[in-house]
Amino acid sequence: MGAVANPAAARSDDRGPGEANGPAAAFTELRSLIVGPEQRQLRALQARLDDPGTQAREVSQVLPQAVLLRTRDPQLTRALAPTIEEAITASVRKNPQPLADAMFPVIGPAIRKAIAASLSSMLESLNRTLEHSLSWRAVKWRITALRTGKSFAEVVLLNTLVYRVEQVFLIDRRSGLLLQHLKADSAAVPDADMVSAMLTAIRDFARDSFRVSEAEALETLEIGDLTVWIEQGPHAILAAVIRGTPPHELRSVLQDVIERVHSQHGDALRSFDGDTGPFESARPLLETCLQVQYQRDRKRTSPWLLAIAGALALAAGFWMFSSLRARARWDAYLDALRAEPGIVVVSADRQSGKYVVNGLRDPLARDPASFLSSHQLSAATVTGNWQLYQALEPTFVLARARGILRPPAGVTLQFADGVLSAAGTASADWILESVPLARAVPGVARYNPTRLIDSEIAAFTKRLEAARLLFVRGTITPVPGGDQVLAACREHVRSLDVLAKAAGRRFMLEIRGHADGDGPPGSNIPLSARRAERVRTELQTELLQQMDVATSGVGSAEPLTRGTADTDKQQNRRVSLRVFATGAPETPLNR
Amino acid sequence: MIQKKVCMLGGFGVGKTSLVSRFVSSIFSDKYLTTVGVKVDKKTVPVEGEEVTLLLWDLYGQDEFQTVRTSYLRGASGYLLVVDGTRPLTLDTAVSLQQTAEQVVGQVPFLIVLNKADLEADWQVDDRALWRIAEKGWPILRTSAKTGDGVEEAFLKLARGILAA
Repeated sequence: MGAVANPAAARSDDRGPGEANGPAAAFTELRSLIVGPEQRQLRALQARLDDPGTQAREVSQVLPQAVLLRTRDPQLTRALAPTIEEAITASVRKNPQPLADAMFPVIGPAIRKAIAASLSSMLESLNRTLEHSLSWRAVKWRITALRTGKSFAEVVLLNTLVYRVEQVFLIDRRSGLLLQHLKADSAAVPDADMVSAMLTAIRDFARDSFRVSEAEALETLEIGDLTVWIEQGPHAILAAVIRGTPPHELRSVLQDVIERVHSQHGDALRSFDGDTGPFESARPLLETCLQVQYQRDRKRTSPWLLAIAGALALAAGFWMFSSLRARARWDAYLDALRAEPGIVVVSADRQSGKYVVNGLRDPLARDPASFLSSHQLSAATVTGNWQLYQALEPTFVLARARGILRPPAGVTLQFADGVLSAAGTASADWILESVPLARAVPGVARYNPTRLIDSEIAAFTKRLEAARLLFVRGTITPVPGGDQVLAACREHVRSLDVLAKAAGRRFMLEIRGHADGDGPPGSNIPLSARRAERVRTELQTELLQQMDVATSGVGSAEPLTRGTADTDKQQNRRVSLRVFATGAPETPLNR
Repeated sequence: MIQKKVCMLGGFGVGKTSLVSRFVSSIFSDKYLTTVGVKVDKKTVPVEGEEVTLLLWDLYGQDEFQTVRTSYLRGASGYLLVVDGTRPLTLDTAVSLQQTAEQVVGQVPFLIVLNKADLEADWQVDDRALWRIAEKGWPILRTSAKTGDGVEEAFLKLARGILAA
């Protein structure tokens, strides 16, 4: 204080005696000198307190550390929860994508795991139900289910189950409060919280009743089909509700789990005050306790039963093989029928152990029964119902035409594109008769007999073409006896003309003159032409109505013989006749 | 989720089970009281915007033949000491049980519940005795399991006290 008093005294001296403003001013100055720094500090502090921005900056510097210090304080959790919930809600409403992105790595595996577990459980259940749905035991179990009012699945489960851990309780050992509870899919649970508490009470009751130490406790409860195995740790107990007969190894599993729960959640167990949130992360560990084991069917099957089953299997196999083979033969038979001309398969079926085929059949087609043996089918096993029809395939039309027309030996029939063609030599009567008959043949659209030659016409033609009309050397005079030949030819031509007219046909008579090789062509050709004209004149062709006549002289170009003897030369001094039909359109046969 | 264990203490016939029955619906039969000596029920109540599940351990009433199993008290976050207003001796029993409970669970919230308030004409608990209790700082509440008066309030008050502790 002394240091503060001296400046005041000095300032008072500087003013001098007449300068004094009074004691108040002096006091103010004195106060400023003494507490001035503190006043400035106070003003600065006041300014900081009044400035929200400064406060926010300062709080932000210590906030993370403060939150860390109060991590385990439930009051902080409760205080923050509403704000965080509102913040999350607002964020999701504004844009759910960031939260979805953040959750994706967690949600994806969790969903996959849940789906896999559900599918596995469903498949196991389905498998067991199918496995036991068709056996004689299933019938018995269904009766039991009806009698007891239980579901069939439940009865199957009870009869096939070795054991199944249906529920797992993780309980605070001190208070009996339930920390976590897991159950199998189909397990019935009334109220796990109260069961947990009552279970604790019963344990306490048992321990009190038998005055055992704290370390000793109730480890097993048995109620009907259910067994409760209890494993205790320093702070928590694990109770597993098991249906069936559990193996001893399961006890080791429970012990291992309770130890690991204490290892991983020791702090949370020690400080447990009713908040079960920290124990959510123990669920995967507890899930390992939910084990199940079904019976394996160990019954040895009787050898006789096996033999009977084998025989039945063999019989079934043989029957199946026979059926397949018969079926294959039947199909091949049908294919053959379908490929056969004149047979139309309309339907095929199996009735009363017999094969039945219905269809149409041309009378000229092969008998369907004749196919049976080649396909190793018995007539006793196949019934064919065939309605007759007339097939229009060329082979059938032709065969039918042959049957109806009955062509003589010299006539051939052909059928193509709806046209029936006849060729060869036949009597005029047959030719005339064939026209209406051919039109009546089913499938014949047109009949073409133009290549038919009347046998009488053929005979006269043959005679004419065989006639030897020889001439004296260098003249157009027939050799002795040649006039008789000419006269015969004349008669033949007239007969031919008459026949052609009767048949409505037209012929060409070609008269060709020849000469021997003695003279020069310049004289032989005219000579041969005159010989042809001479014969034409002798044949009186101008009287012919159905025959056209052509004459020509070829000289020695077409000798009958190549010899040089007089007899050979005589043979070459001749006139040859040829007769051939010229077109058919005008013939009455074709009209 | 917050869970708390609450014990119902009191002499025989003071109405503990009736109070609980008024408060919750149970899944366990009352026969457990006479066999195991306790019956557990559950009630979820809202306390300051938070759901709190009370596991109510209804202990068999103490009388001259049977004492409360102290093992049932372990881990309790609070308890109700139920007194029958028509039977003064049940107040003494409650005081005795408070000492027992405090030995087991320590100083946790509790409440003296003067039950059977509907039988005011037959009321026999001395006010001076109640003053002595009040002087200890023990909260006292009148209830009637028959009419339901004060029952909900008693449990809510205890729950609030437990969360505030």
